[in-house]
Amino acid sequence: MSGAAEPMSVEDGQPVELLFPGDSEMARRMRGHSWSETSMGDPATWPTSLRTACRICLTSRFPMIVWWGEELRFLYNDAYLPLLGSKHPALGKPGDQVWTEIWHTIGPMLKSVMSSGEATWSEDLLLPMNRHGYWEETYWTYSYSPLHDDDGTVRGVFTAVSDTTERVIGERRLAVLQDLGAQAGHARSVAEACQLVAEVLERSGSDVPFSAVYLRRPGTDELTLTATSPSGATVSPLPGGPGDWPLEQVLRSETPVVVTDVPERFGALPSGGWQTPPTQAMVLPLAGETGGQTVGVMVLAASAGRVLDEAYESFLSLVARQTAALVNAAVAYQLQQRRAEELAELDRAKTAFFSNISHEFRTPLTLIMGPVQELRTALAGGPAREGVLSGDRLREELDMVHRNGLRLGKLVNTLLDFSRIEAGRMQARYEPVDLAAVTAELAGVFRSAIDRAGLAFEVDCHPLDEPVYVDRGMWEKVVLNLLSNALKFTFDGSVRVALRAGDGHAVVTIADTGIGIPRHELPRLFERFHRIESARSRSNEGSGIGLALVKELVGLHGGTITAESAEGAGTTFTIRLPFGAAHLPSEAVVPARQADAASDTTPGAVSDAADPFVEEALRWLPSEEGTTADQTRSPSTSAQPGSPHVSSPHPGSPHPGSPHPGFDGPPPRVLIADDNADMRDYLARLLRPAYEVTLVTDGQAALEAVRDDAPDLVVSDVMMPRLDGLQLVAALRADPRTAGVPVLLLSARAGQEASIEGLEAGADDYLVKPFSAAELLARVQVNVKLARIRGRHTRWQTAMIESLQEAFFVCDDNGAVIEINQAFTDILGYGPEGLPYTALHPWWPGEAEDPVAHRIVAEAFEQLVSRGRGSCVVPLTHRDGHQIWVAVTFTDVADPTTGERRVVGTLRDVTAEHYLVQRETALAALSVRVSEASSVPDALTGALQELRDVWRARQVTAAVWHAEPAHHGETEWEPVLFCTDSEATWHSLPDDLRERLTELRDFPPLRPVASEADGAGITLEHPEGIMTLWIDLGQNRPFTAEDQTLLALLSGHLGQGLHRTHQLDQQREAAVALQRAILGPSHLPDGFAVRYEPATRPLEVGGDWYDIVPLPDDRIGIVVGDCVGRGLEAAAVMGQLRSACRALLLQEAGPAQVLSALDKFAALVPGAKCTTVFCGVLDTTTGRLVYSSAGHPPGILAHSDGTTELLEGGRSTPLAVRPGHSRPESSCTMPPRSTLLLYTDGLVERRRSPLTAGIDQASAAVQDGRAAPIEDLATQVMRRMTPDTGYSDDVALLLYRQPAPLDVAFPAESSQLAPVRTALRDWLNRCDITSSMVQNVLVAAGEACANAIEHGHRDAPGRTVRLRAVVTAGDLYLTVADTGRWKPPQPEVNTHRGRGVALMRALMQHVTIQPGAAGTTVDMHARISR
Amino acid sequence: MTTPLTLASSRRSDGTPVLTVSGEIDMSNAGDLDAALNSAAGDDGPALLVDLSAVEYLDSAGLTVLFAHAPQIELVANELLAPVLTISGLAELTTIHGLAN
Repeated sequence: MSGAAEPMSVEDGQPVELLFPGDSEMARRMRGHSWSETSMGDPATWPTSLRTACRICLTSRFPMIVWWGEELRFLYNDAYLPLLGSKHPALGKPGDQVWTEIWHTIGPMLKSVMSSGEATWSEDLLLPMNRHGYWEETYWTYSYSPLHDDDGTVRGVFTAVSDTTERVIGERRLAVLQDLGAQAGHARSVAEACQLVAEVLERSGSDVPFSAVYLRRPGTDELTLTATSPSGATVSPLPGGPGDWPLEQVLRSETPVVVTDVPERFGALPSGGWQTPPTQAMVLPLAGETGGQTVGVMVLAASAGRVLDEAYESFLSLVARQTAALVNAAVAYQLQQRRAEELAELDRAKTAFFSNISHEFRTPLTLIMGPVQELRTALAGGPAREGVLSGDRLREELDMVHRNGLRLGKLVNTLLDFSRIEAGRMQARYEPVDLAAVTAELAGVFRSAIDRAGLAFEVDCHPLDEPVYVDRGMWEKVVLNLLSNALKFTFDGSVRVALRAGDGHAVVTIADTGIGIPRHELPRLFERFHRIESARSRSNEGSGIGLALVKELVGLHGGTITAESAEGAGTTFTIRLPFGAAHLPSEAVVPARQADAASDTTPGAVSDAADPFVEEALRWLPSEEGTTADQTRSPSTSAQPGSPHVSSPHPGSPHPGSPHPGFDGPPPRVLIADDNADMRDYLARLLRPAYEVTLVTDGQAALEAVRDDAPDLVVSDVMMPRLDGLQLVAALRADPRTAGVPVLLLSARAGQEASIEGLEAGADDYLVKPFSAAELLARVQVNVKLARIRGRHTRWQTAMIESLQEAFFVCDDNGAVIEINQAFTDILGYGPEGLPYTALHPWWPGEAEDPVAHRIVAEAFEQLVSRGRGSCVVPLTHRDGHQIWVAVTFTDVADPTTGERRVVGTLRDVTAEHYLVQRETALAALSVRVSEASSVPDALTGALQELRDVWRARQVTAAVWHAEPAHHGETEWEPVLFCTDSEATWHSLPDDLRERLTELRDFPPLRPVASEADGAGITLEHPEGIMTLWIDLGQNRPFTAEDQTLLALLSGHLGQGLHRTHQLDQQREAAVALQRAILGPSHLPDGFAVRYEPATRPLEVGGDWYDIVPLPDDRIGIVVGDCVGRGLEAAAVMGQLRSACRALLLQEAGPAQVLSALDKFAALVPGAKCTTVFCGVLDTTTGRLVYSSAGHPPGILAHSDGTTELLEGGRSTPLAVRPGHSRPESSCTMPPRSTLLLYTDGLVERRRSPLTAGIDQASAAVQDGRAAPIEDLATQVMRRMTPDTGYSDDVALLLYRQPAPLDVAFPAESSQLAPVRTALRDWLNRCDITSSMVQNVLVAAGEACANAIEHGHRDAPGRTVRLRAVVTAGDLYLTVADTGRWKPPQPEVNTHRGRGVALMRALMQHVTIQPGAAGTTVDMHARISR
Repeated sequence: MTTPLTLASSRRSDGTPVLTVSGEIDMSNAGDLDAALNSAAGDDGPALLVDLSAVEYLDSAGLTVLFAHAPQIELVANELLAPVLTISGLAELTTIHGLAN
């Protein structure tokens, strides 16, 4: 607003030109505006402040607005036009009409200025504007100041607008850069750094709508997309477009490139929240650390809302620079991390080196100090071993001291060489030599050692055309180190040294066929202090410095050394030395040595430095007779490493005066394990002759020797190839057989920690090198003595356990059997040679062969392991395969020495007792089964199951061969089959089983026939013939002699049992047949349902009866009667009365007549008096029922409308009460769909309840079920009437529904339709239903029948179709069944069939068509409307 | 044996051909009805009036025959036949006389 407040005095009456000065558009418009017509009035009347404001506004270059009056009318200048946009022209309009959409914001602000007179403002309003040909993101700040009129009242508001775009955007960009800067130090990897950048830029979409970071793969020009913002954005070049980002160009030129055709290249990029996607982008290099390579390229898209001007470009460059800084910091972090790791690794290697080197020093030191000490003692006249000062022995000792002195010297020299090289002070003298001659000669030094190792040695050194400059001393070390290395790791095959010229170099290769070097170890082969843990070597000695030294030495010669190796195949070292001396420092080059220049050696001769190498190598190898100190070695023992040397005291040359430690019996046996031959010899010399000494070269050999024959003591070095001392101790302790062998460890590693480690591993004692001879002897003696004392206890214990009659065993915590006695072996067949026996023990029954036995044993074992005490009887398998039963008792104890938990137990063979018990149990069980059975098949089925359980058989099968074949003339005489598998039939049996059962018939009865492995059979007498029986045990289980005895015994009992059951069976069958004969008709006419419940079980009859007697002319006689009393006597009376009654009815007597005649009859039959009878004759066509009752409870008639009626007419006294008295007769007509219930008083009689209550209850029951089918109704009534305690009296019940169902069967011919229809129409008319329903049912049934005829029987006309119609009180059910198959209705093919089915469905309530294999059944249901 | 069915052709005084049917129509005699309809119907004269007042039973076989002739015939029916004629949809194709509605 600077410059806007131009002071100006305004006077009244100014012309409009002065009031609205200038020639701006708005000035013209204001001048031309007809103000008088607005509420603002003539400008001449305007207050001074308004006029001044107008002038300021019009003359200002900044956008300005004047809001005037209550309506805040709107005046503005040209500069405001772009902000107003299409709202222009709006001069003089009320403010709320101009800025409607933001009035809710600015309206209150304006009003507050108007009311309070205080200025206010709104800052940085975003307004997209097209000022420069594109839609620009712009920000504006509006200020609102009051305009007073001449009275001082606020009449309007003056607004100045300032453009704040640059500031807003500048601040925002700064925030982005700050955000990026804040990420410094967070990323631990480059990817993480890129991710952080992407996250920041994603938050800054307004300025960088899209970004992508491409990182260069170090050392290449390859770029990898590492991060984008927004994350996951994929931007790919359009096909046929100008191409991708110019990444390579930027990477190469390291100069940013502006891409101005972004949409053409890629289409729409992410827009960063703006309407328009970016059109321009920068591709920038990510600079590396100072002087470093570019680390990558970054793409930064520019917002479309801002022009990519210099400021924007510099912002994007800063973003890229920040990104590069973050990436570089992450690289540096990773680098630092790696360096720290490398340092840690070097430190670890150094520690390992010092620990090893200490061992390397201590061993020779022991072998120097020990003998020297002894010699000094001897010389001083002190106690020493016999003959120490004798000539041979003295030389031996001194030789050893010398050798170990050499070794120490070599070690020190190597270390010195190394430190000289390290310090750059190695004084070399390079002289031209005939490398072939020198190398071959050095190799020759090793020949004897390599020959002795049994390896082929090939030296193939062709003379070269020119000399090679080498320092002889150094070259010796190179070749000797490599040869020594080759020998150390090669056990068979060859070592080869070769020399060739090639490519300006002398090329020396030293190749072996040894164990090779693992691939992953190759890169570290020449690393200082790095020892390769190899599977196998001749010696574990070595400092891990030899090859590193070789490499340094070759390097001093300007040469290179490489190694190639394949595990198991060998290793080849290749050295390349350049010809000439140009590559060597000239001051160190000397002329060739003259023959006489070196007085001590001849030219090319090998210096003394070679001796230690060869000496050392020779000591790794088995010695030859006369060449080593071990002269007492048994000649017969082979000299291979790993196999023990036994050196016994010379039987012929005892040492009478030797310091005998005073052991009884034979000298104690000591096993010495050390890979250093000197040490082995030294120890052997010390211990002999008081001990019988065995020597082995490593831990593995020691372990094998101990397992073979445990010594009294093991003396072992800690560091050895194959299996070291600690591992040896662990292996010995892990095995119960060797756990007690005492071990004395020798180690070079001094210090508390090392000895604790040894003792923790289970060593009995620990001796640190260097140690004195006396010290060693004392320790050995103590340990042997202790072991002997322990051993005596053990031997006692063993003897005691062995003498036990019962089998004895000890288990460890896991249930592994670790100790047994002889009785154990006798019972189970497993001896101590197989110890330990781990679970599952070999005597467990196989899970597959005998799962039950397996489970029993598993449960017992579980108890043994978890609870530790208990006893049980289990089946076990003897080593020879037979099953035995043993009683096991076990209890847990803590091992007194180790405190470990042990379970000790005893076993007793109880097989015989077991079988006795089993026999008796089985017999008892079988007897119970047979006696409980109600029939012979029942008994047999039960018995077979019993047999199966006894033997836990897979299946038991019995075939009963009837005395007379059931089917004469059939080729096979087929037996009746019984099997524990109820599905089995004779024909489903496997052929071999059928054969077995058939063959068994020819065997004499009760003689078991056992097969080899899978079962046994027997023949026995069956009441109806003979029976053959086979027990299938499943696989591989012997059927023992005991089993056979048991089978014979059980079969005998079974035979007898079956005969007994058979007799009972026959009697019972006769009784039941008789009972059934007197009970009632076996076939009921349709429409009837009956129930009979005798009060006395198991009798099937009682004193009650019902009878239904078909009579001519569709009439049926119905009788329900009840004799006095219950049980067999009443049943006998009932039978007579029933027969008499039936006979009378058949003579066409009426009900009253029948009862009168029965009166007379009953008078003659004892017990028949007072029998009650209901007798009726029903005409099924009309439903008319004529009846008479002899003191019987009334019949109940349930009508279809829900009412009931009692048939109480025709009543008179029970039978034979008043003989000769005439009986009344009554009649009623059963209306259609009514139901008649007749019953005996057992149904309705209840204690403490009148009979009428029971009758009412029965009436209700039959009424409620009037809609149910008659059979269902019978069940319902019986169930509903059952008293809580069950029926206490006989009950007879008879139900009939009128009319009886219609059941018509007719041939499938269309001519049958009319007669069937007639029959159905007649029946329907008897059901009392409306004529229209009759017609509907007729049509529906007719359609179903027509379908059955037409489709069901298309291929076989004349077959039977069956129509059945059943009515209940309110429903009609029709069933049409045929024996053919319908086609599904296909109206388009056959309209009239489809029409038929549609008719059925339309006319009936429910239609189901059930096609089946046997035929199609149509069920239809219609509800009968009242 | 076919179901009894009587078919009688006549002409009303106004010349309308009439086929009077009495008895029961099912698949066993629907062919007879078809034949009678074929012969009774004139080529392009007035519609044949099929009088079914005395028919006690009509099933889908009979309906199919009537459907086949539907364009050329008018029916006289009785209340017993009403459901079948309605359900089958024949009542919508031809004029049926003699029913209550």
